[in-house]
Amino acid sequence: MGTTGSAAAGDRYVAVYDSAQFKALRRRSNTFIIWASVAFYGWWLLVIVLAAFVPDLLRQGLGGPMNVGLLCILLSLALVVAISVAALRFARTRLDPLSEQIRADLEGDPR
Amino acid sequence: MISVLAADPPPPVDNTWAAPAIATAVALVLGVVVFALVRAARRGIRNPDDFLLADRRIGTGQNALAMVGGGIMYSTVIIITGHIALNGFDAILLLTAFTMSTVLAVLIYAAPMRNVGGHTLGDLFALRARERPARIASAVITLLIYAMFMIIALASIGLVATRMFSTRSTVDIPLVAGMVAVVGLMAILWVYLGGMSGVTRILVLKVALMVGFVAVLTAVVLAKYKLNLVDLLNDAEANAAPDRRGYELLTTGRLFGEGSTHASDQDPWVHLSKAFSIAVGALGIPFLFMRYFVATSGRDARRSAGWASMISVGFWLCMIILGLGAVAILGGNNIGLVPAHRDTTLPKLADDLGGPWASGMLGGIALLSVGAIFAVLLLNAVQSFTKDVNAARGRRLEPAAELKDIRRNVLVIGVASLIVGMAMLGQLTHILIPTSIDLGGACVLPAVVYSLFWRRFNTAGLMWTVYGGLAVTLLMVVFSNGVSGDPTALFPDADFKLVDFEPGLVGVPVGFLLGFIGTVTSRERNDAAFAEMQVRALTGAVIPAREELPATGGTDERDRESRTLSGAH
Repeated sequence: MGTTGSAAAGDRYVAVYDSAQFKALRRRSNTFIIWASVAFYGWWLLVIVLAAFVPDLLRQGLGGPMNVGLLCILLSLALVVAISVAALRFARTRLDPLSEQIRADLEGDPR
Repeated sequence: MISVLAADPPPPVDNTWAAPAIATAVALVLGVVVFALVRAARRGIRNPDDFLLADRRIGTGQNALAMVGGGIMYSTVIIITGHIALNGFDAILLLTAFTMSTVLAVLIYAAPMRNVGGHTLGDLFALRARERPARIASAVITLLIYAMFMIIALASIGLVATRMFSTRSTVDIPLVAGMVAVVGLMAILWVYLGGMSGVTRILVLKVALMVGFVAVLTAVVLAKYKLNLVDLLNDAEANAAPDRRGYELLTTGRLFGEGSTHASDQDPWVHLSKAFSIAVGALGIPFLFMRYFVATSGRDARRSAGWASMISVGFWLCMIILGLGAVAILGGNNIGLVPAHRDTTLPKLADDLGGPWASGMLGGIALLSVGAIFAVLLLNAVQSFTKDVNAARGRRLEPAAELKDIRRNVLVIGVASLIVGMAMLGQLTHILIPTSIDLGGACVLPAVVYSLFWRRFNTAGLMWTVYGGLAVTLLMVVFSNGVSGDPTALFPDADFKLVDFEPGLVGVPVGFLLGFIGTVTSRERNDAAFAEMQVRALTGAVIPAREELPATGGTDERDRESRTLSGAH
């Protein structure tokens, strides 16, 4: 569609796509995205649903001005940093070496 | 994120904080600095990609700051401070939704979008659907959101003018109109001269100044409390204006509780839906996608997005402290109880802590910030107009002619927008930001996710997602409390509202559902195109097509695409 004008190039993409190496890369990447998104958005949705429907839980005091709700917000912000760090680290150590190799094979072999 | 620009002018407020002379001086100095930046950027522009994408050479640090800059606007800085001072916990929850949304860029958008390459969303769509409808879909969604956001950006210039460049208690109409016109024209000039690299430098400057200012102000607030956050929170709780239903400031209820929304029985869904829509939709706004395309590589785009989300957390943590600090230090009675006046909170706090110099600085920096948003939007509209519309029309230009075309588009679209935006100044346009965010969630998010991850996705699926999500969202907006049935609605005297909750809550799942139905009811499928997209998105590889296809006069799409892409390496 659109950009697969050259049959030869298209075949080579398909060949790479079907290779074991690419399948491994794809599985690693997708698994991380799915788990990170589910954990991250799951937590955040839980917080807003609790705030909306079980407010008394979030109003529970934790000493002084602190309460469960404020703790949840601090955890959410910490989670943003944690997940960003984890995603960058995962990509650097687990995805980039493999994708770099595939790319070098593909681009360095012009036939 | 309800900004207010009432058709009836807001009730007068005694302006005790503004320092117009200092603000004007700061703004003029910033104007000169920005002009020097864009002039320096102009020298590097030789072809369309230099202009639109800064030749994809924006470094990680700069790009991260510029990404943060796209989210710093009137509503997320000035309004939110007052919102937190008034509504405490529930407003903070809404603010964290913005930081939540930045994670989408790290996890899903940044790296694949850059690796696929191109200039607009249309480049990704065209890999998965027929070229023409894909390009038209990208143009429709980009330009529609542009039209809505541009009006808000210009209105924000007017709000900054009223709040910080005037000491009158009512809206000074000649001043507002004059400043919107001048700053608007300046922004058009910035884009015309500097293109993407100029706009990026402006964003970096803006973020450095705004984050720096907010950080210093936060430090002053904390110093006042000798770093004792417990005292700060206690004071905030004690000094807050009492809620008529008795909800404390630091607990949930002021926005989630029954009766928070005017004449509605849809609480707590109203506030829940707002938080949800922002968290999933805010990053789907097309002008934020530009930042991925300008990175040097997919890896770099992802790294920038990661840094941007970490910087955002720090920035919005400061905003939370400032919002609570404002109510602790100024007292609840000093926070505008009319929504139209709660955006005086941050300037008041700055004035209280640092005197006229602080409030003047804030005025100047805020003016640069809102002006820069207009510039970014304009560049995005020009990008979509030049690339998507021309591709859909089958028009292909030589680089020199295209560059001329781009510059002309900057002037034509910019001036037309300025005229429309100024004509809309007196209107109630506050529903336009949430609506844009809803569209980011209902149209862009499903279309991009399906394009990147679903093998079966096709032209029909794309059409159903984009136009279906659009139709459902706009239909709900028409029957929302932003249009009727509320004193701050577009038609405050009519009442045909049905939904008080944010349309994104329904629009996002419906967008996904429609894309699914559209796809499976169409027989079209192209596994080879999916394979190509996946290989490119995950590895950034592009088969050097030039060696297979010696320049044949660009008879097919592959050739054009690869030339665009190879410019990046």
